Amino acid sequence: MEVTLTQTLLVTLWAFIIGIDQFNGLLHIHRPLVTGLVVGWILGDIQTGLITGATLELVAMGMVPLAGAQPPNMVIGGVIGVSFAIISHLPPEAAVAIAIPFAIAAQGCVTLIFTAFSPLMHKADRWCVQCNTGAIAMLNYAGMATHGAFFALVTFLPIYFGASSAQAIVESVPAWILGGLGTAGGMMPAIGFAMLLKIMLKKEYIAFMLAGFILVTYFGISILGLAVLGACVAMYDFYANGSDRGGRNIKQGVQQNGGI
Amino acid sequence: MVESDVNVAAGAEYEDRSVRAVIAPGDLVTMVWRSLFLQASFNYERMQACGWLYGILPALKKIHVNKRDLSSSMLMHMEFFNTHPFLVNFIMGLVVAMEESKKDQSTIRAIKVATMGPLGGIGDALCWLTLLPITAGLGASMAMGADPNPAGPIVFLVLFNAVHFSLRFGLMRYGYHTGVRAIATMKEKTKQISHGASIIGLTVVGGLIASMIKLKIAWVIVVGQASIALQEKVFDAIMPNMLPLAYTMFMYYLLKKNYSPVKLILLTIVIGVAGKGIGIF
Repeated sequence: MEVTLTQTLLVTLWAFIIGIDQFNGLLHIHRPLVTGLVVGWILGDIQTGLITGATLELVAMGMVPLAGAQPPNMVIGGVIGVSFAIISHLPPEAAVAIAIPFAIAAQGCVTLIFTAFSPLMHKADRWCVQCNTGAIAMLNYAGMATHGAFFALVTFLPIYFGASSAQAIVESVPAWILGGLGTAGGMMPAIGFAMLLKIMLKKEYIAFMLAGFILVTYFGISILGLAVLGACVAMYDFYANGSDRGGRNIKQGVQQNGGI
Repeated sequence: MVESDVNVAAGAEYEDRSVRAVIAPGDLVTMVWRSLFLQASFNYERMQACGWLYGILPALKKIHVNKRDLSSSMLMHMEFFNTHPFLVNFIMGLVVAMEESKKDQSTIRAIKVATMGPLGGIGDALCWLTLLPITAGLGASMAMGADPNPAGPIVFLVLFNAVHFSLRFGLMRYGYHTGVRAIATMKEKTKQISHGASIIGLTVVGGLIASMIKLKIAWVIVVGQASIALQEKVFDAIMPNMLPLAYTMFMYYLLKKNYSPVKLILLTIVIGVAGKGIGIF
C-alpha cells in the first residue's frame, strides 16, 4: 500500500511517545501488542496490526531488561515490524525477520545514548552545589526528549525511504561493532559498583562483599536471600556488640548474654 | 565526588538538625508522579541517580530550608543509584522520612544501598517475570487467531497498570510510614544502623557483581587436535565470575587513581568493541 506523509508522521509521533514510555512512565503502551493496535489504526489495517503486534509481543516476552543486560529493542522492533507487515503485506513471521535487525541496531544506539549522558552527571553535581533545582529538572526533560527523538528518527527513516534500503544500511554495520557495544553494555555495571565501593568500602566491610560474591557465584542464592543473610549478620552485630555506643571494638557482650 | 569550589560535601551531618514535620500526604502523591521519570537521564555512570534526585526534590526543598544542607543533600542523592522502577517508591518513602528527621547522610546512603539491590531483584521477578507475561499473554491471545479482538491490548493495559499504580502508591505510603515509625524507635543508634546497613549493602553489592555483570571470553585456543575454551576450561575452573569481579576491582583501582568515570566508560566501550572485533568476546 501507499503510505501518505501524514500516516508516516503519525507513526513517527507514536514512536516518539513510546520511546519515552519504555524508560519513563512505563505505562507499557510501548509493548508491540499495543503498537499493533495503534499503528494498525493509523495505517488503516487494524486486523493485520493486531495479529502482527501479538506475534511480536510473544517474541518480545522473553526479552526484558533483566539486571542490566540489554536485549534487542522490541519497542523499535514492534513499530517497524507492524508497519511493514501492513505496508508490504507480509505475514507476521516475515515481519519479525524484518524487525529484528532494527531492534538490535537500536539497542546498540541506546548503549551510546546512556554513555553520552554520563559526562552530564558532573554538570549536575555542580548544579547541586548551587542548589539549582531547575537545571536538574531540565536535564531530565532533555533526557526524555532525546529518547523520544531517537526512536522517532529510527522509525521515520525506514518508513519514508522504504524497508529494503534502510535494511541495507543497518546490515552494512559490521556485526562486531553492534556486538561489541552489547558486550560493553554488559560490563558497564562494574563502573557503578566500583563507584559505590569507592564511597562505602572500608577494610572491615571487604569480607562481606567477598562473602556476597561467593554465595551468588557458587550457591546461586538470590539477591533477596543474600540481603536477608546480610541482615542476619547485621542484627547479630547490632545486638552482640553493645547498643549504647557506636564502637564495635568494645567487648561488653559477656554480661549481657544469657538474659532469657 | 565533586571537585567543588564551595566547601559543600556529601556525607556530612546537616547543619540545621531541627526536625519539623513538613511532608504532607499530597507531597507523597507528587513524588509518585515524579518517580515515573526515574530513568529520564539514565546513564552508565550514575544510572538512575539524577532521575531519583528529580523525584525527591520537592521533599528535599521543603525539608532543608538551609541552603548548604539542601545542596549537600542533593549532592548525596546524585551518587550512583539503581533499583526497580516500580518498587523505587518504597525506598523513596523511607528516605524522605529519614531526611525529614535529619538523619546522618552516611546512614541515609547506607539504607539506599542496602534496599536498592533486593528491591531490584524482587521487582524483576514480580513485574517482568510474572505480571508482564500474564497480562501481555492474555492480551496477545485475544489479539491473535482468526478473529483478532481489538480489546486485547486494552485489557492488557488496564490490568497491567492497575497493579503498577497500586504498587507505586501503596509502597510510597508504606515506605514513608515505616520510615517514620522505625526512626522513632532507633533514635540514638544511627551509627550502628548505618554500620548494619553497610554490612547488608556491601554483601548485596558483592552478589550483584556476580550476577549483574556480563563478561565472558569466547576465545578458544587451538593446539593441533586439542582446543581449549578459555572461559570453561580455565576461568570457570579457577572461579566462575572471576572476570566480573576482576573487572570491577580494576575499575575500583582506576577510580582510586582519580580516573574519571567518563574515562572508564569510554575505556569499557573500547575494550568491548575491540575485543569483539578480534574475537576475544
